[in-house]
Amino acid sequence: MKILVAAKRVIDPDARIKLLPDGSGVDVQSVEYKVNPFCENAIEEALALKEEHDAEVVIVSIGPDDVTPTIRSGLAMGADRGIRVESEDAALDSDLVARILAGVFKHEGDVDIVLLGKQAVDGDNNQVGQLLAQYLELPQACFASEVKVSGGSATVTREVDGGLETLELPLPAVITADLRLNEPRYASLPGIMKAKRKPIDELSLADLGITDTALKVEVVRLEEPPARHAGVMVESVDQLIDKLVNVAKVL
Amino acid sequence: MRFRFTEDQTLFRDAAREMLARHCGPEVVRAAYEQGAGAPDAWRHLAEQGISGMLLPEAQGGLGLGMCELILILEETGFAALSEPVVETVAVAGPLLEECGATALLARWAPAIAGGRARVGLGLDGQPYVEGADRADLLLMERAGELHALTPERALLTAQASVDGARRLFTVQWAEGTGTRVAQGEMAARALARARLRATLGTAAQLIGLGARCVELAVEYAKVRTQFGRPIGAFQAVQHKLVDAFAALAMARPAVYRAAWSLDRGDPEVDLHVSMAKAQASDAATLCTRSALQCHGAIGYTTEYDLHLYMKRAWALSRAFGDSDHHRARIARQILGD
Repeated sequence: MKILVAAKRVIDPDARIKLLPDGSGVDVQSVEYKVNPFCENAIEEALALKEEHDAEVVIVSIGPDDVTPTIRSGLAMGADRGIRVESEDAALDSDLVARILAGVFKHEGDVDIVLLGKQAVDGDNNQVGQLLAQYLELPQACFASEVKVSGGSATVTREVDGGLETLELPLPAVITADLRLNEPRYASLPGIMKAKRKPIDELSLADLGITDTALKVEVVRLEEPPARHAGVMVESVDQLIDKLVNVAKVL
Repeated sequence: MRFRFTEDQTLFRDAAREMLARHCGPEVVRAAYEQGAGAPDAWRHLAEQGISGMLLPEAQGGLGLGMCELILILEETGFAALSEPVVETVAVAGPLLEECGATALLARWAPAIAGGRARVGLGLDGQPYVEGADRADLLLMERAGELHALTPERALLTAQASVDGARRLFTVQWAEGTGTRVAQGEMAARALARARLRATLGTAAQLIGLGARCVELAVEYAKVRTQFGRPIGAFQAVQHKLVDAFAALAMARPAVYRAAWSLDRGDPEVDLHVSMAKAQASDAATLCTRSALQCHGAIGYTTEYDLHLYMKRAWALSRAFGDSDHHRARIARQILGD
């Protein structure tokens, strides 16, 4: 079994970010990057399946050379090898990322499962997994909270409004991970040392046969959320209701 | 000399930092302070990450690494105020048994230490109390230049008060015998001297981390606490106080790293380097706590506020394994003679 896991680096979610003065993007000077938390869940699930089914786990990330630590991080957790597809962050949108991952899927040839985070915590788009399944014409199960693989199929439990939905998908399939799927393991020191010796292949878009790099989404402008005003302490429930009715006019 | 850590060493630190941030947050430190709870989850993860066995020989299930690899992680355990005997168990016990030639004892205890199933209490001469003796699985005690090993059931433990509620200090009364003696003579003296250096340096590294935590808390507070219509961090008096603390840490940190390098390579001046590290780390951490407390005002002193927890640990460790005066006197003796 071969499992392809997509891993994206995101600006440290706990860091305070600044926008560029013209609002065209986020100022990435001296920011720290981390692996997208949902991608860590995807990696962990792939490693759990590897332990159960003796699978090969391949981490793929798209971006400039500084996405390599993201791949190494997955290798340190226990993945077998990595693939970096050369690109620039600003030259990507969800659609192109999905087409690139579809190219990697075909380039690898015998992938059984593609695992992704359900979304990245920077753009929060939640599109790549679904688009990838469409481009590859594969079954998909998004927001997985449990994955079981047996024979040639995967049984995936999804958290939906009002309960749990269980799907059975023939392999190969695309699965996106929710936070509750698992608790990602920490890289061990032996794992970190071994990761340096694991191969990372570098591919260009041309290697994957991708010539159309036009983006379908244009970021027009980013703005800071409006500053919050200080709250008002009220003395009693009656006063609170009075303010909600007469001042905030929400009741 | 090249004062730069390798990529592996910084990745080890990052892995430990991430784990400690998740499993040894202020709520865990508070539980240790108020209830003596330790930090069992973090302790388990230290073992799973391979940190507990870093200094143990590979033949015994360890990683065979040195203080240069461990020192950054110890700094992180200080930043997190980890209330577990990581210095005694990880930095000291394995190398001490190995250097004493205690092959059988090492073979018996190394797997348990590497697996996080054993904690070690350390009773070196000059230290009146053994931290965590009640929870230790093995006590390594120095007496009259000899190393003895015993389990806590063979000793009478008497609890002692500590300025830091999370530190469980005990006097340990025990009877020596052939069953307890591990090493004596020249070999024991050399191994015990190096154990003292490791314990002192490990504590110095933790102090650097604690100082950094106190400065970080104070900086965050200075950004949000307003007075006279602006954040107190906008006032030069507050800025200078925090900058002085930060600068003291920046000066002490290389001394700690240098001493780790000297220990690993058997530098003939390692005693001097470890004393320089501990003296500077103790002073820097103390300055950081004072500056942080000043910036916070009265709230910083209340036990309900997190700064208190880190400050008390720094005060306790600044005196453990020799305070600044003790190590300055050692430095003076080494450069001036007796």
